[in-house]
Amino acid sequence: MPKDFDTEAYPEPPRQTPVVDKQTALPNPALILSKVFYYTVDLPVTTFRDTIDSIRSKNKLVYYHQKFRRVPDLTECQEGDYPCYYEAEMQWRRDYKVDQEIVKVVQERMRACQQREGNSYEQNCTKEIQQFHEVTKNFQSRYGDLGAYASAKKCLMKQKERMMAAQAQSA
Amino acid sequence: MVGMSLLRSAAAFAARLGPLKAGNNAAHIITRTIPRTDKVAIRWGHGKKMFVVKPSDFYDRRFLRLLQYYILLTGIPVVVFVTAVNVFIGEAELAEIPEGYEPEHWEYYKHPITRWIVRNIYDSPVKDYEKMMAAIQIEKEKADMRLTQLEVRRQMRQTGDGPWFQVPTLDKELIDHSPKASPDN
Repeated sequence: MPKDFDTEAYPEPPRQTPVVDKQTALPNPALILSKVFYYTVDLPVTTFRDTIDSIRSKNKLVYYHQKFRRVPDLTECQEGDYPCYYEAEMQWRRDYKVDQEIVKVVQERMRACQQREGNSYEQNCTKEIQQFHEVTKNFQSRYGDLGAYASAKKCLMKQKERMMAAQAQSA
Repeated sequence: MVGMSLLRSAAAFAARLGPLKAGNNAAHIITRTIPRTDKVAIRWGHGKKMFVVKPSDFYDRRFLRLLQYYILLTGIPVVVFVTAVNVFIGEAELAEIPEGYEPEHWEYYKHPITRWIVRNIYDSPVKDYEKMMAAIQIEKEKADMRLTQLEVRRQMRQTGDGPWFQVPTLDKELIDHSPKASPDN
């Protein structure tokens, strides 16, 4: 089976199964339904999966996450050195994608927390909510309104504007 | 003509009274229409077979039949093949890159068919990157050469000591410097 999710980031809520205090001789319909579900759905699916896995266990393939080398940035390129521009642009695009995925993961954690806590999410999930606010604020300030034709040069110009605004404010 | 209609009605009446009698069936009597009102189906079984008059749906049904045939002709082998790949070979699992090992470029994909396509049909992403950078370098050199050519043109036109913009003139030796008969020659 594939590796399950990170149990620290998505903790399971404590189980609330009540103590069984059977006072009637009648059968428990919930128990009957769960047994029916187990025999009609769970068991066939699990046996199917196990047979397929046993067939597949002979040729096991693996795949990896690609690690890219860091190349000089757009600020470290000579003017007119177009291959350097291209490498910097590709690196910036990869970093943009990684940042988008980071925002998605943080958002997913906040949603999971809200789902877990139910109606008391505002006070129990403060850590996740604060992390989400911080991450989205940073993402917005860096990649915010670049648009669909975003490029490394436009992002650099945006950074320049930010630095100018910060300097004008502090001076 | 009146006699004909009388005969016809008489034959109909006779046929109605006794259809099985020898002289009364349609082959012998002039009229051929024998309304059999007493032998209509009263028990509603499968119903009386009707000939429903509608336009021909032969061409539509033939089109759908052929469509089904040609789609399934390659569809079923493809489905069987993909199912066999998924059952017998199976998708890859994520693993950490071992120390000192450089995975091939197709080992970064999950599904075995994708891996096969990337291995045999596509170029590796490193090669694509280098191809792009080579194209950029060629364009850069072309642009630089065009700029230098414009600069060289400007210089040669200005200073005039280069091989370009030379206008061919007559030879100096051909000028006749000897004194002429009339002064304005």
